[in-house]
Amino acid sequence: MSDPITDKETKVKMSDHRQSEFLKIVGGVAKNPLGLIGLIIVGVFVFCALFADWIVPHDPVGMNIKDRLQGPSTTYFLGTDQLGRDTFSRLIMGSQVALKVALPAVFGAMFIGLTLGMIAGYGPRWLDNFLSLIFDTIRSFPTVMFALAVVALVGPSLQTVVFVVMATSIPIYGRVARTQTLALRNSEFILAERSMGASLFRILGIHMMPNIIGVLSVLAAMDIPTVIALEAGLSFLGLGVKPPTPSWGSLLKDGYALIRQTPWLIVAGGLPIIITTLGFTFLGETLRDVVDPRLRKNR
Amino acid sequence: MTAPLLQIDGVTIDYNTKKGNLRALRDISFDVNKGEIVGIVGESGCGKSTLISTILQLLPQNAEWKKGAINFKGKNLIACSEKEMRDMRGKDISVIFQDPMQSLNPVITIGRQMVDIQHRSTSPYAEKWQKSIDMLSMVGIADAETRLKQHPFEFSGGMLQRIAIAMALMSRPDLLIADEPTTALDATLEVEIIKRLKDLHKEMGCSILFISHHLGVIAELCQRVVVMYAGSVVEFGSVDEIFFNPKHPYTRRLIECDPGHIKERAKRLPTIPGEIPDLTEALEGCIFQERCSETIAKCKTAPPPLVSVGQNHQAACWLNHNQEPE
Amino acid sequence: MIKYMIRRLALAALILFVAVTAMFLMIRAVPGDPVQIMLGPRATPELQASLTAALGLDQPIWKQLVIFYSKMMQGDLGVDVFSGRSVTQIVMQQLPYTLELIFASIIWSALLGVIFGAYAAANPNTFWDRMIAFVSVSFIAAPAFVIALLSLLVFAVQLRWFPAIGVGEGFWSRLHHVVLPAFAIGLSWVGYIARLVRASMLEVLGEHHIRTARAFGLAERRIIMVYALRIAILPVITVIGVGMGFLLSAAVFAEIVFARPGLGKLVIDSITTRNYPVVMGAVLVSTGLFVLSTAISDIVNAWLDPRSRQSL
Repeated sequence: MSDPITDKETKVKMSDHRQSEFLKIVGGVAKNPLGLIGLIIVGVFVFCALFADWIVPHDPVGMNIKDRLQGPSTTYFLGTDQLGRDTFSRLIMGSQVALKVALPAVFGAMFIGLTLGMIAGYGPRWLDNFLSLIFDTIRSFPTVMFALAVVALVGPSLQTVVFVVMATSIPIYGRVARTQTLALRNSEFILAERSMGASLFRILGIHMMPNIIGVLSVLAAMDIPTVIALEAGLSFLGLGVKPPTPSWGSLLKDGYALIRQTPWLIVAGGLPIIITTLGFTFLGETLRDVVDPRLRKNR
Repeated sequence: MTAPLLQIDGVTIDYNTKKGNLRALRDISFDVNKGEIVGIVGESGCGKSTLISTILQLLPQNAEWKKGAINFKGKNLIACSEKEMRDMRGKDISVIFQDPMQSLNPVITIGRQMVDIQHRSTSPYAEKWQKSIDMLSMVGIADAETRLKQHPFEFSGGMLQRIAIAMALMSRPDLLIADEPTTALDATLEVEIIKRLKDLHKEMGCSILFISHHLGVIAELCQRVVVMYAGSVVEFGSVDEIFFNPKHPYTRRLIECDPGHIKERAKRLPTIPGEIPDLTEALEGCIFQERCSETIAKCKTAPPPLVSVGQNHQAACWLNHNQEPE
Repeated sequence: MIKYMIRRLALAALILFVAVTAMFLMIRAVPGDPVQIMLGPRATPELQASLTAALGLDQPIWKQLVIFYSKMMQGDLGVDVFSGRSVTQIVMQQLPYTLELIFASIIWSALLGVIFGAYAAANPNTFWDRMIAFVSVSFIAAPAFVIALLSLLVFAVQLRWFPAIGVGEGFWSRLHHVVLPAFAIGLSWVGYIARLVRASMLEVLGEHHIRTARAFGLAERRIIMVYALRIAILPVITVIGVGMGFLLSAAVFAEIVFARPGLGKLVIDSITTRNYPVVMGAVLVSTGLFVLSTAISDIVNAWLDPRSRQSL
């Protein structure tokens, strides 16, 4: 007897369906002016991050003392910092750092939060209570304070930042995944699957997850700006990535120290953060508007 | 003969919706005399709520007045300014709504709300408070002083409806509109509320526009009845005429289907098959034709006008035109 | 009402209890000698020995937890590594500055947010409504500390309208000093609150009791401000309570950027000097503040909306 789930034809049809769903969502987002702006900004950001090494006009890390503290010019678009490094190049490089932190942190948190949330929603009551308690405890710490405490204990580095940022995000995904799982748990198609003897893994992985992923993706889009801001903040405090790696936060740090000598460093650090967070937020908001009513329609 | 207190004349209201123009009220005409109780009967979707909103001029933004006038004490309400309407609302015209649990502000005490609706009076607060107490006593709420300090969720449905009646009658309005005031209550409460309304009516002499789909209550309370279907008036006349001599197929079916009217035991209760038509589509012919078992050819081509079919009795049906009254 | 208050505060205590335990376990979970970690590399052997004894680190874990709690209940959060002063004292000295900043931020942003939101709800789908919506989203997105730095640059350094450093003395000077940091922290809140109030008001304005109020001829202004707003404001109060966490985080940055005293500056300085007891003490106090503020906002909510007293 052929299993409709593993049957090749069904698989192809399902992945086609998923693809067209995806394109429909992207189309829906692009139609909205805010969404379009968001898509463009995010696109530029990702492009810069991926191809930073190739598009920087100057070496963002090497020192060049004789050219230090210059204003904007045709060679140095945004001037130079106290060690003669081209600010514009450091700005572009900073996008790479931001992405390097944001991606693993957000996806790691989403994956862990999703798993834990599904377990909490689907498993026995005591497990749910236990996991919910953990989520609520993490949430009861003010985010930056928690981050600072961890950094104080473990010492600053890129990995620490990723870990901290991930840890503070997990409860967000966990709670939503849990709620969704609880809601879906008693829905008809899940009950049907269980009556056919589907394994736990199949139920959670193949049937529940796709439904929850949509909602979590919207959360992720809204979470990325928070994560980028947190990383920049920690770097600004000198507790994030170690120099000479250029992060937007460290640009701000240098700029703050040199605020009376040159305003360009702060602008170079602050403006990309604002634009990127705006872009992701617009994208996330529009995504939510597009995905939410559709989720309801499909029910 | 004195002019009627409320005269509704050919009122037509459309809603602009995404699906098109929804004709909620179609050429509505009837009147209410001073001190009279007129009932409006009709199933959900017949346009009762729109009618009330139109009289009060509280229609939503997407509503469009197409034609007709509503004359109240000599003024055309449709032509009145917002300020003139506001002066009349709660003073000359009062409303009792269907859902007492939802119709009162949940976070403000009853007393405060009852004082607020006396906002036109310049009397001191203490007087307004006392008047509220008096009104509550009049509708039979014991221990009114304490009750005024409570919030709506601390009362039962029946008590809230009595409070709503008290609030509506506080200013001694000329016209009281009661929008299915007993639908949300159980049968024993209904009897009580109706009795109270009757007593208050005798005492205050106001006109009442009583909307319900409970035929028994209409028969007991009202002097004249308007039968509405899908936004149109299909029949209008005295209570006796409507109930004993209905001249419209819809009215006839309504009476047949009323559980209180059924004489023989049957396995299933009779219903009127079908649903109200889609009001966004243009209409040709009678509005009831799809569910009517007595249609003739003319029913499909032209909408029947409301014509006199007897003493104090009008109906809109082509069947009546074959037998003109002598 | 009193009963609700007691139950809610008990819940807050429970949450705090769990959070403190988590903090305790976190410290223990880090590899290495906890005393070394708590005192940092600058600790002398005598200090280490006395702290080990004081903390009872030779005792089983559960007993350590008990000692930790009993000390905390007595208000003893340990001592500063350098000066030997009580951590509790140090933290409590700095706390008022942070509270002042947070308070100032909430007041202006909540006020403006409510006004914008109520206006948008009263005039839905007009140009101004859309404008407010767009601006709200933009404000929400921008991170507070970046706004702080940019406003420092523009308004303090370049334009010299406001002081760049410190807290000021005397009412007017303090007010002058708090403007920029409160602006930076509060900006995203304006957007957040405006959106919340708009949505909340629109929902309330659609409810039946508003229809009743109109049917009784009450003035529209009174309906919006007294009848509708009173209900619509409730979510804002909850949000502010929960937002305390965000406010504390933002305050940390604002204090650094504008060189103001407060919990934030205390924590950062202590991290740099590896004064771990102070770090932990400050983090615990701010967590306690957060838990307390969520409890208070729930209580205020229950006071304003009698219906919610039934839950819990």
